[in-house]
Amino acid sequence: MRSSSRNRPVTKIAAVAGAVVASVALVALPASAKSSKSSSLVGTFGVTAASCASGTPTSGSYFRMVQSGGTTTAGPFVPNADSTCGDKTYSALQPGTAGGLTTGRYQPDPSPAFDTAGNGLAAAIVAPTKFFGVNFAVSTNATDPQTKTATKKPSIKVSGKKLSGDLDAVSVAYGNQQFNQGAPKPDGSTPTGTAGPTGTYNAKTGKYTLDWSSAIIGGPFSGFTGIWHLEGTFKK
Amino acid sequence: MLGLGLAAAPAIFQMFDRAPKGGDMIDAFEPYMTQARIAEFRGFLREMGAASDEAQRVVDPAAAKNLGLTPAQYAQRAQYLHAFEQKFPGIDRDMSDMLDRMQRNLANYRGVAALPPFPLFPWFFVIPGLLLAGSAAVALVARRGRSGRAAVIVVIVIGAGLIAAPAVFQMFTRAPGGAQMIDDFRPIMTHEKLTTVQGYFLTLGNGEAEARNVAIPAASLPAAATPALDRFSKDWPRINREMAPFVGVMADNIVNFEAVDALPPFWLFPWFFVIPGLLAVVLGALALRRSRSNGRDAHEPSDPGTEQDSTEQDTRQVTRTNTSVEAS
Repeated sequence: MRSSSRNRPVTKIAAVAGAVVASVALVALPASAKSSKSSSLVGTFGVTAASCASGTPTSGSYFRMVQSGGTTTAGPFVPNADSTCGDKTYSALQPGTAGGLTTGRYQPDPSPAFDTAGNGLAAAIVAPTKFFGVNFAVSTNATDPQTKTATKKPSIKVSGKKLSGDLDAVSVAYGNQQFNQGAPKPDGSTPTGTAGPTGTYNAKTGKYTLDWSSAIIGGPFSGFTGIWHLEGTFKK
Repeated sequence: MLGLGLAAAPAIFQMFDRAPKGGDMIDAFEPYMTQARIAEFRGFLREMGAASDEAQRVVDPAAAKNLGLTPAQYAQRAQYLHAFEQKFPGIDRDMSDMLDRMQRNLANYRGVAALPPFPLFPWFFVIPGLLLAGSAAVALVARRGRSGRAAVIVVIVIGAGLIAAPAVFQMFTRAPGGAQMIDDFRPIMTHEKLTTVQGYFLTLGNGEAEARNVAIPAASLPAAATPALDRFSKDWPRINREMAPFVGVMADNIVNFEAVDALPPFWLFPWFFVIPGLLAVVLGALALRRSRSNGRDAHEPSDPGTEQDSTEQDTRQVTRTNTSVEAS
């Protein structure tokens, strides 16, 4: 009895503490569960062109290429004298006929994929972009044109405000040649330089940024790495 | 032992992996190892050289004047064109050297390409090797019987086939040519060289683009005042289209080249057939001769009238004739 009466305040304190913890848990748990849950974004990631006339892009979508032996952060980067950016190591990307990159389905190369000069003709995702006098064109294909490997439909997920996903189907047609520019690669690998996709997303406005990089394996630019930055508004 | 050695040679030299890579490399270079394609690439170099000269002689002074820049300031302003002009003589020398190497190896390339398919090469050792070993084994087991002698004859025939194979496939002329080609290509089929050539591609492409986008508009020259640069700009997509895949073939075949280069020297290959072939023929002939002379010795003390007697004699003589058969 004695010991029971002596323990009563302790019991009260424990009960109050338990109630507080339970209340906090009730409020906090759904929020944390909500933030760790990811959902697929199926629609079109609209491409806004880069603003870069005076130098490096301040906003918008662009492509960069890292020279063989370089890194995606420090370069050295390949200058493209055909770029409209002040800093020629950036090539501004203009929206294509579909407005941007669509998830959940492919935006494949047309047939033929090239004109007689070797310019790539795919124009849905971004407008063909001049690079060393010849246009490169971006597409997503069920079978990767370079490696002849099956790919997955482009997918992007959002978790909180962060984007992730699988863009292994991205391919670039240039100079009568095809270069896989997916991340990861169609075989699931991530060779040096290949990373992402990562990005940010504002669910209220639909504004997003999407970044990935992809090593070029084989062909004239073997050992180089493509860096892709898409920016714009996502629409379902 | 000789047969097993021959059969094991491809595994020892990793031919099962390396030979197909050699075949892939020969196939990949096929579009470029022609007189016409080399002449076309030399034409591209001449065209780019003329454009570089014209840019320095006609366009740069006019553009610098119109832009109000000193030559040094203009060189900074048109940095990619300037780099093209400065680097082109070296690029021309280096690329011409590559084309020279290709040109002087056209016949060697054709010779190697005319050899049987590379992936089959290991089997040219394995199959005769196993046949040789199998026949020798039969000869050992059968000793001096008819089947033993037949097996020794098979050994001799296989040996003769091995001796004849290099002549049939013209290996004595083609293989040394292949060796010469490998030696000549060794300096250009490296990752360092690939990076250098990739850099040339960037220099040429950016030079053309800056001439077209910056220098020529700034120079404000009359129409047709820059025929060499106009032609270069018009042809650049084609030059790009033709040269880029060539650089790609270089890039994609460096590993294949290294595999071929790691094989024994090409000129040795005919002898890999001839020497085992000669040994098989000589040893087989010796075995056959001893077998026959021993057979005659065995017949002498007995009545040669019956075949059965002679067979029994043969059986009794097994121990004495072992040495000669084993030689095969």
